[in-house]
Amino acid sequence: MRVTHQIEISPTSVVLDGQTIVVEAVGDAMLVELYRRYVCDYPKFFKMDTLSRLGFVAAEILLKETKVDAVILANRSASIKNDNDYLATISEGRYYPSPALFVYTLPNIVTGEIAIRRHVQGETSFYVLDKPDDLDPIIRATMSNDLQSSNLQTVLAGWVECSEPNRFNAKLQIIWNN
Amino acid sequence: MEQLIEQLKSQIIEALNFEDMTPADIDADAPLFGEGLGLDSIDALELIMLLDREYGIKLSDPKSGKAIFQSVRTMAEYIQSNRTK
Repeated sequence: MRVTHQIEISPTSVVLDGQTIVVEAVGDAMLVELYRRYVCDYPKFFKMDTLSRLGFVAAEILLKETKVDAVILANRSASIKNDNDYLATISEGRYYPSPALFVYTLPNIVTGEIAIRRHVQGETSFYVLDKPDDLDPIIRATMSNDLQSSNLQTVLAGWVECSEPNRFNAKLQIIWNN
Repeated sequence: MEQLIEQLKSQIIEALNFEDMTPADIDADAPLFGEGLGLDSIDALELIMLLDREYGIKLSDPKSGKAIFQSVRTMAEYIQSNRTK
């Protein structure tokens, strides 16, 4: 396995293949800035929760030149930030549960958003793990699986975590199976 | 009616997170689904919630939705005739 490209996003910085990308905004607003700069033609972005926005813009920047066969992501807090936003719509005497928030109350939705946008028809999976390193053996096992390896040449894999508003981090890589 | 249409456009933009859009971008007579705004089934649920939350209208007959949600204008006409708040 070899890593050919990597992006890291925190609320205050974006680093692509070791090079810092200068951004003006911070936190959630920075994800919108990245969308406007690198994507622009996918209005569904604005309906996404923060976790999906994070994974989506990271994938869009990383996959400009590359097509991948699978998407394997993980984090520690699942979809807790959006779960809390959804809970707020049915709390404090109100009862207007938001359908738009409800559809993002699963962490694996972000893998689907990326797969739809990038026409990924292979495996898409999302794991809830203690720490980023725990994903490595899963990626290795997936890529060395005899049943899949003949068709699985490139994978988008990594960590996308968002536990609270304006608090997130992502590290995604393009990994080749040779 | 025109005032209600403008208010409804703003409420739709907020409810559906159309962050790049202003009320002037929405044609009151354009189809909401398919062409026009290109809304989907989740958006339809949000519009049903909007009618309940903002205007006290509960849609009990699913078949009526197709006519009500044809455009912003048909929504506004339905609101004017059926609002409870």
